Amino acid sequence: MRIGRIGAVARFELLSVVKRWSYLIATFGLPIFLAIVSGTVLGVQTYFLSQRIAESSEFGLVDEAGIVDRSAFEDRDGVRVWTANANEVVLYENRDLATQDLEAGRLRALYVVGESYLSSGEVHAIQSEKTPLLSMRGTTIEPLLRSLLRNSLLEGRLDGDLQERVISPAYFVRSRLGPDGEHVAGVDEALDLLVRTTIPLFLGILLLTALLSASGYLVQTVSTDKESKIVEVLLSSVTPEEILAGKLFGLGAAGLVQFAVWSSMVVLVALTASVALASVVSIPWQALAVAPLMFILGYLFLGSLMLATAALGANAAESQKLTMGWAMLAILPLMVLVILLDEPNGILGQVLTWIPFTSPLTVIIRLAVDSSGIAWWEVIGSMGALLISTWLSIRIGARLFRVGFLLTGSMPSLAELWRQAR
Amino acid sequence: MAKRFGQHTALEGVSLAVAPGEVFGLLGPNGAGKTTLIRIGLDILRADEGDVTLFGAAPNPKALDRTAYLPEERGVYRRAKVRELLTYLGRLKGLKRAGAHDAADHWLERVGLSRVADQRVESLSKGMTQKVQIAACLMTNPELCVLDEPFSGLDPVNVALVTDLIEERRASGRTTVLSTHMMHQVEALCDRVALIHRGKLVVYGELDEIRRRYSPHEVIVWTEMDLAARGIRATQRKAGGWRVELPPSATPAGYLHELVGSGVSVDRYEPLVARMDEIFVNLVGGGR
Repeated sequence: MRIGRIGAVARFELLSVVKRWSYLIATFGLPIFLAIVSGTVLGVQTYFLSQRIAESSEFGLVDEAGIVDRSAFEDRDGVRVWTANANEVVLYENRDLATQDLEAGRLRALYVVGESYLSSGEVHAIQSEKTPLLSMRGTTIEPLLRSLLRNSLLEGRLDGDLQERVISPAYFVRSRLGPDGEHVAGVDEALDLLVRTTIPLFLGILLLTALLSASGYLVQTVSTDKESKIVEVLLSSVTPEEILAGKLFGLGAAGLVQFAVWSSMVVLVALTASVALASVVSIPWQALAVAPLMFILGYLFLGSLMLATAALGANAAESQKLTMGWAMLAILPLMVLVILLDEPNGILGQVLTWIPFTSPLTVIIRLAVDSSGIAWWEVIGSMGALLISTWLSIRIGARLFRVGFLLTGSMPSLAELWRQAR
Repeated sequence: MAKRFGQHTALEGVSLAVAPGEVFGLLGPNGAGKTTLIRIGLDILRADEGDVTLFGAAPNPKALDRTAYLPEERGVYRRAKVRELLTYLGRLKGLKRAGAHDAADHWLERVGLSRVADQRVESLSKGMTQKVQIAACLMTNPELCVLDEPFSGLDPVNVALVTDLIEERRASGRTTVLSTHMMHQVEALCDRVALIHRGKLVVYGELDEIRRRYSPHEVIVWTEMDLAARGIRATQRKAGGWRVELPPSATPAGYLHELVGSGVSVDRYEPLVARMDEIFVNLVGGGR
């Protein structure tokens, strides 16, 4: 193969793609669009939350059963108020007055501890017509009221500590082994789960999207060559291997730029997260470092197969259908993502690591979820397997490419393909 | 050589050579196997049987750099700019970037398209696009150039331009293989021809010799006299003159001597030579 010719093909293909509006929009417009959308959503949410905080956080309480411990309330100009977690509960002796305040919008809700409370346990929560729907969701007032009632019921009947334990039997102090094997306290389980699963998932989807996007450009270029009938001119000047390699490198470079731009978003998020959560969660730096290499290898393998099979299609639609199978194989790790996240180094993860179609995504996910469970020889080995498969697929692909390019009309039989490709 | 596609035999027992410096006509009806033959010659396809040599050796990348091909099914990147496309195709033939750029400009000027160098190919007319492709083909000054139907879609002015370019190539010792259905162009340009029909070589050799071989044993005589009234087997032609069937043993020169000797006043005399379109129709039309 002549490097100069491969370079000429690669340069032409790269410039053809990067000058397209669709590419520029997908590469740079998409992250900007996502940033604008997520920024807007966050901004709107922040605005409404701040509005809500500014709204009245006063609740009314009418104690018809006479069981609420009055000593918990402080007296403010003749009004008894209990403050807890930025919520204020005003104790009313008169239900009508409380209802008037609720109607006037001075209260978000009114709680009435009925006379039969001791036997029924019923506390009536009343909202006014003006109270926005779902406004009670997400507030912490009801658990606080429960604590107030428990305290009131037990007041003076148990000693201090016992009463506290009855009210709050357990505070779970969570911790886990951190990135360096240290015992880290104060872990928010939900946040931990989110970070530990979101980054691998996002990285995996990103890798796959970039792979399929770059492969999509390959299918498109083959269809263009075939439909524009220029292929004979190309094949009379350069070998199928040179065309195939040139297209792979040129469009791969375009895909790599796209992947770099997209993954810079992930790096940005990871850097932000690492500053905020360094002691809590481990950022999958190894996965992030290996990702570009796995992208290149995965792309070269998948791309060469896609080029060869796309050349067999009579037009763009047919080429797209023919290459769909390869894409489905590459998506496989995402289909079994739940298993991979749960058991990244289980038998499924280990097997998928060695299959060239699935290894890029699987290695990235395994490294991101639990890098200690994947051996270095597995990473190197999977790269080796990918390289060998890529070499084979370029060799076979180039032959199919030549045959496929010159075929018109109906699909050739396998026997015919074999005969022509020899 | 032989080439089959499944059950279909595209070429069988075809053997020919193209000599350096000549214009070689590759003729045949649609589907005869001409394109397959060209593709095999340029190593785009491989023959099932037989050997191909290009510049004395098996086709190889270096030899292919000395060739250029204008396929019948025209192909261009329609969204590319004209100069950009030519530069790219020049690069694929081994020119350096600057060389390809200069050659593109030179050949665009030769075919009268300098003004559209920075336009996209899709904005050009069919004839202009074809001239771009011809320029792409000739820009490396290839030793062997295969032109498949180079005149189709061109107006008479551009047909003359392409004819001149082919003549120039012959004058400079470059070889051209011309595949066309325009028989008068074959007669005007080709030194030798091969006619392929149903994958087989039907006629192959010097153009003049072939035309003579397939010519009727007749002459055309321009005279004021009524030859038929003189007992000669002659019919008057609409285009003027008499078409005279020669006796089997007579030669055109001998018959002219005989005619003048018999008192016929001959204004003009011409042995009838078969036209290529007549030969073509006679050879391939029978089986249709």
